[in-house]
Amino acid sequence: MTQPNSILGRLTRSLTIVAVVGALLLLLFIGIEYRISFAELSDEAALRIVIHELTEHVIIPMLLLAIPMAVVGRWAIRRAVEPLGRAAQKIDAAGGEARGVRIESESLPLETQPFARAVNALLTRVDDAAALHEAFAADIAHELRTPLTLLSLELDRLEGAQAAQLRLDVAAMRRLIDQLMLLAQIDAEQAAHLPPAPVDLIEVAGDVVAQLAPAALANGQTIELCGEGQNVILGRRETVAAALRNLIENALRVTQQGVPVVVRADEPGELAVRDGGDGLSPERLDVLVQRLRRADHASTSGAGLGLAIVARIMAAHGGRLITDPDQRELRLIFPST
Amino acid sequence: MTRLLVIEDNERLAMLIADGLGSRGYRSDIARCLADADIALTVATFDAIVLDLGLPDGDGLHWLRARQLSGEPPALILTARGGLEDRVNGLDAGADDYLVKPFSIEELAARLRALLRRPGRRAEPVLKVGSIRYDTASRTASAIDRPLDLARREADLLELLLRRAGQVVRRQTIEEALYCFDEAVTPNALEAIVSRLRRKLDEGGADNQLHTVRGVGYLLRDGGTD
Repeated sequence: MTQPNSILGRLTRSLTIVAVVGALLLLLFIGIEYRISFAELSDEAALRIVIHELTEHVIIPMLLLAIPMAVVGRWAIRRAVEPLGRAAQKIDAAGGEARGVRIESESLPLETQPFARAVNALLTRVDDAAALHEAFAADIAHELRTPLTLLSLELDRLEGAQAAQLRLDVAAMRRLIDQLMLLAQIDAEQAAHLPPAPVDLIEVAGDVVAQLAPAALANGQTIELCGEGQNVILGRRETVAAALRNLIENALRVTQQGVPVVVRADEPGELAVRDGGDGLSPERLDVLVQRLRRADHASTSGAGLGLAIVARIMAAHGGRLITDPDQRELRLIFPST
Repeated sequence: MTRLLVIEDNERLAMLIADGLGSRGYRSDIARCLADADIALTVATFDAIVLDLGLPDGDGLHWLRARQLSGEPPALILTARGGLEDRVNGLDAGADDYLVKPFSIEELAARLRALLRRPGRRAEPVLKVGSIRYDTASRTASAIDRPLDLARREADLLELLLRRAGQVVRRQTIEEALYCFDEAVTPNALEAIVSRLRRKLDEGGADNQLHTVRGVGYLLRDGGTD
């Protein structure tokens, strides 16, 4: 059979067969009951009586039975397969990166539960494989830290332009390792299904700015924070801070000395970072955000996986990363609570 | 000379740390495991501990948590775990600061300087950052060896910023340290004290050391690397 089998089609066919067989049986029954012989059928008056009897006792009851049965059957089947459609939508909506998506098999019809359980088992295996993959990346990142420390300390004993360049290379590797470990952490948080907690964006921004300001000052750059009082969202503080840190570090890279990098936390549920660069077009942001998916890890600007990770953190929060090139701002938009 | 105990099982790493810190005026003893560290701490006194977390005979955090009850030297943790949770656990266990690998000797030295400036424990009575000196016993300050005439709150603020030199001190932290909890602090009061202190530092010759991080707090730094 090449055409996919529709349950509704089968039901219609079955009901038609039942109706036809039932009608024939009734016809036979009535024939015997009233001793109608074929000879009587030539008599016009008798035929009228026969037709009347048949209409009253066969056709009307059959229609009365078959039509409501068809309607109720369709309705029952529609309702029964509806949860399957919802489950499919849920799996589709989860996209490529989400973890822990499962079908709620309790809401499904009993007959489809073995199938749902099999799908869930498959999803579990997919999740496990992805987790293993990322844990492996995190392990490698972790293991690299000690040799990289040795390298960094050895470099501190050297002087000259070459050593300075090597130190920059070590710093770039360190950034990459931090980002890999951050990715592993986002996934671990998602897998753990931690309930989101209230996070004050102004307080987080203050912390991150305080962390980054000393190095920026040493480099002749300044960071400012706008926002007073409280600006509370529901989320995970640590990854929100990591997202903002990534944005500020990017902003510092494209901003010349003397121009402040401004962090705004004054809009509800929003964090924005304004830099002194040329502004990032939505198309370019899209390309940078897609990097993670395309496994395109080559970096010339030093931005690394930064924006891709920021976008992933925002997705995990049900929010968005957007760019406003006119204001030279990147914004983190959190869903309203 | 400041004496450190470096607890690190990787021989080359320990040697590089001791060597690098040696050229910056610290004398380091190396312990390869926690048992060695326990012995070292009973036979000598140290100004600070540098502790790697992954050691052959146990977890550094447990060891620290068990030891920190008595008046121990301040501890700086070296960790390969980058996550903030690990840092928080480290600080909860009694560590005074942490440094995530990989780090440079300069970073480590800067953190140790900040650690040794902290109040209590074995901190030095005279705080120095760049050309600013502050004697915590007599509460007198000088810039390039010229005495500064500071009001009480200006001196309090200077001491606070000196103890955390190189780090941003949040506004709220400063207000809590400078005022009693029942004192009403007007929004501009702190700005006024900061600007008076900055003027006095500038006049004393210690200019460009006190920075404002707008919206967050203040930061005192050496003109150089600190």
